[in-house]
Amino acid sequence: MALALVGVNHKTAPVDVRERLSVPERDLDAELEAVRGMAGVDGVAIVSTCNRVEIVTSLRDENVVEGIVGRLASRASMERSRVEQHLYILRHGDVVRHLFRVASGLDSMIVGEPQIAGQVRQAYHAAAGLRTLDPILRRLWEQTLRVAKKVRSETGIGDHAVSVPYAAVELARKIFGDLAGLRVLLVGAGKIGELTARNLQGSGLETVFVANRAFERAEELAAQFGGSAVHFDSLPSRLVDSDIVIASTAAPHYVIRPDEVAAALARRRRRDLFLVDLSVPRNIDPDVAKVEGAYLYNVDDLREIAGANREIRLRKSDAAEKIIEREVASFLERMASEEAIPTILELRERLETIRAAELEKCLRRIGPVTTEQRAAIEMLSSGIINKVLHYPIVRLKESAARPKPEGAEPIRDTIRRIFGLR
Amino acid sequence: MSPGVPLYLALALYAAGTLTVLGSLVFRAPRLQHAAVFLMALGFVAHTVWIGVICTMTGHPPLTNLPETSSFIAWTILAVTLALWFRYRVSAAAFFVYPLVFLLLGISAVIQERFEPLAPELRSNVFIAHLLFTTLGVAALLIAVGFTALYQMQERAIREKRRGALWDWIPSLRLCDQVSYRALSIGFAVYTIGILAGILWSYRTSTTTLTPGVKEIAAFVAWVMFAALLQSYIAGSYRTRRTLVIAAVAFASIMVSMFGIQHV
Repeated sequence: MALALVGVNHKTAPVDVRERLSVPERDLDAELEAVRGMAGVDGVAIVSTCNRVEIVTSLRDENVVEGIVGRLASRASMERSRVEQHLYILRHGDVVRHLFRVASGLDSMIVGEPQIAGQVRQAYHAAAGLRTLDPILRRLWEQTLRVAKKVRSETGIGDHAVSVPYAAVELARKIFGDLAGLRVLLVGAGKIGELTARNLQGSGLETVFVANRAFERAEELAAQFGGSAVHFDSLPSRLVDSDIVIASTAAPHYVIRPDEVAAALARRRRRDLFLVDLSVPRNIDPDVAKVEGAYLYNVDDLREIAGANREIRLRKSDAAEKIIEREVASFLERMASEEAIPTILELRERLETIRAAELEKCLRRIGPVTTEQRAAIEMLSSGIINKVLHYPIVRLKESAARPKPEGAEPIRDTIRRIFGLR
Repeated sequence: MSPGVPLYLALALYAAGTLTVLGSLVFRAPRLQHAAVFLMALGFVAHTVWIGVICTMTGHPPLTNLPETSSFIAWTILAVTLALWFRYRVSAAAFFVYPLVFLLLGISAVIQERFEPLAPELRSNVFIAHLLFTTLGVAALLIAVGFTALYQMQERAIREKRRGALWDWIPSLRLCDQVSYRALSIGFAVYTIGILAGILWSYRTSTTTLTPGVKEIAAFVAWVMFAALLQSYIAGSYRTRRTLVIAAVAFASIMVSMFGIQHV
C-alpha cells in the first residue's frame, strides 16, 4: 500500500495551465470514479481550487501514477511533456506532510488563509460520498482536518486580516465585538467600499444604508445588500443611526466633517462610531479622529495593518511547521505499525504452532514430568520464540514507517517468504 | 478538615495559574492560557472548600477580619473572571486578575488570624449584611477598575493606530464598557447598602459619638470614587484620563480600607 499525490499549484503552474487541469464541481464525481476505476488504485480524493489541482491516491501498484499523469494531460488536452513541466509527484510521507501544510494554509498564496481548510473538507466529503476513499485515505483526510484545526488554534495563524476589507472587519470587531445587529452606512458606490460592506455584512451586520449622489445607483446597491437607499443630504442625520461608516466616493472634498460626527455622537450616547475612509482624495475630514467616540481609519492605515498582519502570519508559520512535522511523524508511525500488525500476528501464530507441536513431541519422548518441570520447559520454549521474533517484529515496524528503496523487496514480503506465511 | 490544607492547595494552584498565564503572555501561546484557566478553576474549587470550612467553624460568612475579607474578595473577583472567560473568552483580564487573586489569598495565608465565632455583640444580621455587601461592592469596583483600564489601553491603541501589547487578548471596547458599567452600577448599589448597614449597626451598638478612623475614611473615599466613576460612565466621559485617575484613587482607597481592617 502506498500513498501518492499528483498535482499542480500556484507556485508550479501559471493560471492558464491550472484552469485547464482544474476539475470543475460538475465533473468531480466522474473524475473520482474514473481514477478509482484504474487498476492498482485503492482510493482517491481530489482537491481542485483556483490555486491548485491535486489528486491524492492510495495505490497497490505505484506505476499507476504514470497513468494518472496521462489522464490529467488528456483531460486538459495538453501534451504530456508540457503538463509534466508543472507537475509535482509526491509519495508516502511527503503526501502526508503536503496535505497537512495545504489544509493549514501554509502552502497558500496568502499564508494562513482560512478558505483552504473548507475546500479540503469539501474534497473529503465528495470522495467519502462516492465511497472512493479506502481506510488509509479516510484516516489521512480525517487527520488532515484535525491538524489544520490544531495549527490554527495553537498558532493563531489565520487570526489577523491580510486584506483591506478584512482589516476593516477586524477593527470593527475590536470596537464592537459581535457585529450582529449593527448598521453600516455606505457613502458612495466605489468598488472597494462595496467589497468592505459586503465583508461586514457577511460577518453578521444587519442593515446597510447606501448614500450616493446618484440616487438610482444608491437604490441599486441597496437592493443588492437588502438595505435602504438614503439621500446624500441626509448624511448627518444618518450618522446617528449608523455604527460603521464606509466612505468611497469620487468627491474631491470632505463629505463628513468633525462637527457633524460630534453632533451625531452626542445623540448616540455611549455608542461609538467607526469610520472607514477608502477614498482618494479623502472624503472624511481627518479631524474627525479627534472627536471622542469616533475611530477613523483611511485606506493607508488599513493597508499598513494588512501588511503588518502578513508579517505576523509568516512569523507564526515557523511554529505551524513544527506542529506539522510532529503530526507527520506520529501519523506515519501509527500507519506503519497498523500495516505491520497482520504480519506480526501471523508470524506469532506460525511460531506458536511450531512450538506447541514440538513441545508435545518432546514431552512424549521424555515421559512423565512434574507440573513444575512442564512449566519450566514451556517457559524455555516460549522464551526462545520471543527472542527469535524480537528483531523481525522491530524491523517490520521500522520498515513500514520508512519509504522503500527503489526496486527493493519490502521487508514484510521477505519475512513472509522466509517464515512461509501465506 | 484543617483549614490550612485547602488554603495552601488553592494558593499553590493560583501561583501555578498566575505563572502560566504570564508565560502565555511572554510566549504568545493561547494554549498556555487555557492551562492557566484550568489551574485557576481548580484553585477556585479548593478556595471554595476553604471558605466553606471557615463558615462551618465560625458559623458566619468569612468577612470578619483581613484574611477572611481578602480571601472573599479574591474569590468573588475570580468567580466573575472565570464566568467571563467561559461566556466571552475574555483573556486579557487574566493578566491582572490572577496575580491580584494570588496576592489577596497570599495576604490571607500570611496574616494568620484565628477563625473564631463572632462575639455576642457582633451577632447581628445588620452587621453581617454590612460586611457582605461592602465586600461584594469592593469586588465589583475592582472588576470595574480592571475593565476600565483594559478599555483605556485598547481604546488608545485603536485611536493611535498601533497594535498594543495586549491587542489580541483584550475583548472589544463594547464588552469592556458593558462589564465596567454593569459592575459599577450593581456594585455601587450593593456597596451603598453595605455602608448604610454599617452606619445603622454602629448607631445601634455605639453609645458614644462615632469617630471615623483610616478605614472609615478610606471606605468613604472609595464610595465617592465609585460614584464619580459611575457618573463618568453615565455621562459618557469615561474615555478620558480623568476616569483612569478616579479608578486608580478608588483602587488605592480600597486597599487602604482593607489593610485598615482589624479583627472586629
